[in-house]
Amino acid sequence: MNKNVIKFFDKIQNIDRRYIYIVVAFSIIIPLLIPFNSPTYVTKPTSDIYKKIDSFAGDKTKAILMSFTHDASTMPELFPMEVSVLRHCFERDIKVFMICWLPAAAPLVDYAINTAKEDFDVQAGVDYCNFGYKPWVLRLPIMLGMGDDVAKAVKTDSQGRKVENLEIMKNIKNYDDLNLVIDFAASSSAIQWITYARARFGANIAAGVTAVMVADNYPYLHTGQLMGMFRGLKGAAEYEKMVDVFAAYESEDHPNGRPFSKEIIKETSVPITGDTVPYKYKKARIGMNAQSVAHIMMIFFILLGNIGYFITRKKEL
Amino acid sequence: MFETISNFVAAFLTLSIFSFLYKDNPFYKFAEALLVGVSMGYAIPLVYENVFLPYVYSPIFLSHKFIIIIPALLGSLYMFRFSKNLGWLARYPIVFGLSIVGMSVPMSIHSSVLVQMRSAMLPIDGINTALIFIGTITILLYFFFSKAHKGIYGKVTNVGIWFMMIGFGASFGYTVMARVSLLIGRIQFLLGDWLGLVK
Repeated sequence: MNKNVIKFFDKIQNIDRRYIYIVVAFSIIIPLLIPFNSPTYVTKPTSDIYKKIDSFAGDKTKAILMSFTHDASTMPELFPMEVSVLRHCFERDIKVFMICWLPAAAPLVDYAINTAKEDFDVQAGVDYCNFGYKPWVLRLPIMLGMGDDVAKAVKTDSQGRKVENLEIMKNIKNYDDLNLVIDFAASSSAIQWITYARARFGANIAAGVTAVMVADNYPYLHTGQLMGMFRGLKGAAEYEKMVDVFAAYESEDHPNGRPFSKEIIKETSVPITGDTVPYKYKKARIGMNAQSVAHIMMIFFILLGNIGYFITRKKEL
Repeated sequence: MFETISNFVAAFLTLSIFSFLYKDNPFYKFAEALLVGVSMGYAIPLVYENVFLPYVYSPIFLSHKFIIIIPALLGSLYMFRFSKNLGWLARYPIVFGLSIVGMSVPMSIHSSVLVQMRSAMLPIDGINTALIFIGTITILLYFFFSKAHKGIYGKVTNVGIWFMMIGFGASFGYTVMARVSLLIGRIQFLLGDWLGLVK
């Protein structure tokens, strides 16, 4: 083996880790500063959630519940999902409820609503309702109670108004009407919904989780107990694209969006460069550009490190 | 104006935390301590307003449901954890809490055991179900320690190890993706909200 090659790999094996940090930082900063149009492939766990939510379009007897079980530390992955789901609901006139279980999640719910609603003519208590912060220790009576009567289980919204008096509650009684619960979490909290709301009342449950938690939730997706799952930033990017392609689509034939179609989503690419789509609705897709470059960089480092390891080991032998 | 100031504060704290990547320093320590303090400071009044007032104060003093005094007293026994002599009193609310956990056992068995088992017993009708079948059997055999992992049995359990290694690899890959996503989020904030370079 060439001495220079061995010397190079010797050096690489002992490189200061801070140089690697710099390279990773640049591999993220550059794609964010100079975004490019990379394809976003939509997978079944994400499209299943889209189809389910979209099936409630214009139906005043059905609603979805968004459960926030995370704090600001996991916002980069979960927040784009939440904004996209809210945008979908507002675009397609779907009733949406929100609840959060951590004190630190309460401002995130407001932030998500405010981010999405500024482009729509929607009203609190009519088109959407924020139940606000409910303590995690009360999840059992609340999750079970909603199976009988949502208004009795939750009682007041985040503004202190009686839930039963809100206009949005017309035709909404229990999980038969609140037909889809999406739990956004950096933990396995979706399992709580599966255990209490699905096993007991047959509610449809979906999860929006950070990539770390995906492996933990896969068994429940595989068995159909989770009807769909947003998997980290990739899931958020997929949903952003679907909302652009279908829910936000406008034409003479389809003035308020068009129905989901596998063929259309395969063939359509939405440019993320330019001003066609507001930045807040393409944040995850731009993030995925950086993610791809960072992953290529890491694969390169892993290969380089392993080649170096084998070469230096051979030299030692 | 307020947004600009808040963005500056957030950017300063973000960079203070990132400075740990170079080496431990007072800026990092300050930002870390501030996070803990602010989280607690924020949570206490929120819990007071959303838990104590509606679930303890209002029922007892406004609705005169005096039965609530019993669970309220039981809950307050947690405070005795700080006492060396009376610390044992804190065990009572813990015991009560655990008894509630028992309520979820039948439903947990259904969703986390029975449904999973049923799904594993489906007919093998494709490559995915075949892989799940082989993986489940070989991993279960690997964790059967009453027989030495030698000979053909050892080779079968080795297949189980391979399945687990692939599982750990996939899990680790997702973990890397999650961590990079968090970094992306922070850099999006620094470049976009703070510096205004990304819109």
